[in-house]
Amino acid sequence: MRLNASSPWIPLALSGDIPNGTVIPATLCSKPIAIWRSQSGQVNANGNRCPHRGMRLSHGFVRGETLSCIYHGWRFGQDGACQHIPAHPDVVPPASINCGPLQVAEQDGVIWVAEDQVESQPPRLDGLKPLRSLVFCAEPEAILTASGGTEVDLGVEATLAGTRICLLLQGQAPAETLCLVLVDQATSPKACAEISRALEGIRRRAEGETEKRGAA
Amino acid sequence: MILYDYILSPSCYKVRLMAALIGAPLELRPVDFHPGKEHLGEDLLALNPAGSIPILVDGDLILSESAAMLAYLAGQYAPDWLGEETATSRAMVQQWLAFAHRLTAALGGARLVEMLHGQGDLEALQTAGIAALRELEAALFKRRLDGGTWLVGESITIADVACFPYVALAPDGSISLDPYPSIRLWMRALRGQAGFVEMPGIHRRHELAPDPLTPAEGA
Amino acid sequence: MIDAWYPVGLISGLTREGRETLLMEQPITVRAGKTGKPEVVTADGRSLPIVERFGHVWTSLGTPEKDLFTIPEADHPERVLVDVGVVRVKCSPLRAVENFLDIAHFPFVHTDILGAEPHTEVEKYDVKIREEEDEVWATKVKFFQPQAAKSAEEGITTEYMYRVPSPTSSVLYKTCPPRPGEWDVICLFVQPLTETLCDVWPWMALFDEDTSMTDLIHFQQLIFLQDRSILENQIPARLPLDPGMETPTRADLTSIAYRRWLKQHGYTYGAELVAQ
Repeated sequence: MRLNASSPWIPLALSGDIPNGTVIPATLCSKPIAIWRSQSGQVNANGNRCPHRGMRLSHGFVRGETLSCIYHGWRFGQDGACQHIPAHPDVVPPASINCGPLQVAEQDGVIWVAEDQVESQPPRLDGLKPLRSLVFCAEPEAILTASGGTEVDLGVEATLAGTRICLLLQGQAPAETLCLVLVDQATSPKACAEISRALEGIRRRAEGETEKRGAA
Repeated sequence: MILYDYILSPSCYKVRLMAALIGAPLELRPVDFHPGKEHLGEDLLALNPAGSIPILVDGDLILSESAAMLAYLAGQYAPDWLGEETATSRAMVQQWLAFAHRLTAALGGARLVEMLHGQGDLEALQTAGIAALRELEAALFKRRLDGGTWLVGESITIADVACFPYVALAPDGSISLDPYPSIRLWMRALRGQAGFVEMPGIHRRHELAPDPLTPAEGA
Repeated sequence: MIDAWYPVGLISGLTREGRETLLMEQPITVRAGKTGKPEVVTADGRSLPIVERFGHVWTSLGTPEKDLFTIPEADHPERVLVDVGVVRVKCSPLRAVENFLDIAHFPFVHTDILGAEPHTEVEKYDVKIREEEDEVWATKVKFFQPQAAKSAEEGITTEYMYRVPSPTSSVLYKTCPPRPGEWDVICLFVQPLTETLCDVWPWMALFDEDTSMTDLIHFQQLIFLQDRSILENQIPARLPLDPGMETPTRADLTSIAYRRWLKQHGYTYGAELVAQ
């Protein structure tokens, strides 16, 4: 595993979960953000808050290369700048209005976001392909234990249904962890289905463990 | 065909949505469910002693279960929506129609407590709702692995329509849909169907309407 | 803030056993007394002052200096008075009022009913804090409405006036197609349960002989419930009174005046004061 925990890049979603023209909510270091993909396929990330009235932009919609807020239709470009305010269609919005663009990279089927400007590329995930993303109501340590795997940078490596898997773990809130699951590149669709089922078992065990600890 | 309808009822919306998607004619008869409690009045209890809505009346036929209404509408106007005529397909459609009852009880129960002063153990309802959403997410992920979009088979069925409303309205009961990417994609596909109609809490996909900033083609 | 009047229930919905609810975090019971008159009591048995008006029971945790506002237009005997019911919303009571004062969201949230693209422009209108009445007023508000009435085939430009007579109440006056020269009255009465949770009681006084009461109720419930998913997803939940956190435009003059008026009165329940 060649993941680098010192990397400023944080894995927050799988590419396949954000087709062209869609927006999803995500959490970057406990801050709500919106990740969206333009019609042409470009991935973008910004704060999940319209600067107008604070509405979550993940409830909005993607038109062409822009993201619109569902509340008043304010439209933002890939640089985060407000391009259009429907209530004042003839006004050019001041450059100061933006939705807090973040640096984003798409690599190995994973979408990575950085809090600050970075020069480097996200770490590579050689020999792996994305499977699915799940949220565990558990701490990363409980997931490590439940998976029977070993700790690596950014997550856990384990063997499930005879296949090498990697869990990229990201704490989103206390006892809430995003888990991006990657599997060996050569895994067959049938084995993928089996692994997906087995993951639910890991989640049950990890959450059971977390609950027990909470009760104690 | 007359639907005794309440604009905020997800079960009534199922039937309105089904009719809109397949182009079936439906006459709406609004019921003052809140604050008037008309569904518990003599006239409606005479139609449906259970005191629930929706109620679908077509001639002598009176239906009070939304799943039966979906089956009836599809049977009359769009038999393809009943699923393929195989034992597996028929069973899977039934499986999801029954599952939809769990969604109604859990997600719908939480929604009533959080939104309309309903009674109930909110935490227990939310826990049951999350369990159901996780099952749905896992099933839809499996469908994606097989290249599918819908719950059963190659095309949309009454199973999808039966499950969609309470799932889409889960946030009304303070149950987040954020953790479920496959559910999100499935809902998006359903919201993109020709004839789709919205209800409060379920937004339409504005991006499907012409963009006022882009001149129409040929204009 | 505790001296203001707040709606706590429908007069038509009163029962002897009563309903337990909250007013600014204080548990209260709203019930019909022995004579049928409404009573509001706190958990420690204190009886609170009562006003019965606009179909609702109003109360106050403190000692209101002035009577609850009136809506003289609503007294017209030919008006249909509509108790719309209640909807609970996880938002600041002030956010609920501010949203009610806003027209620019019509094309996106009440699509094809109160507004529709490409008719999104908000023209200049007048806003004033009327010192004598101590109320916020917006007048000459015009907006393109795609379907003004069920029978209408084409859209029309509808005129609105907005009024904030108390911090968590708002009255909307809207041109009334069947009666030119008259205004329909549509109100939003908000009961603050906590700073980020409220019960909203819409109420209407309309000139409409043709539409059934149920249709009128459903229409208003439809509109308000379309707003609910917006209100529960604004960050921060509490209304920022200081400039800087949110960016208003000319279309938001009513909101700007409302926030300023709240700040002048030190009305901070449900508000955020320090810019983050």
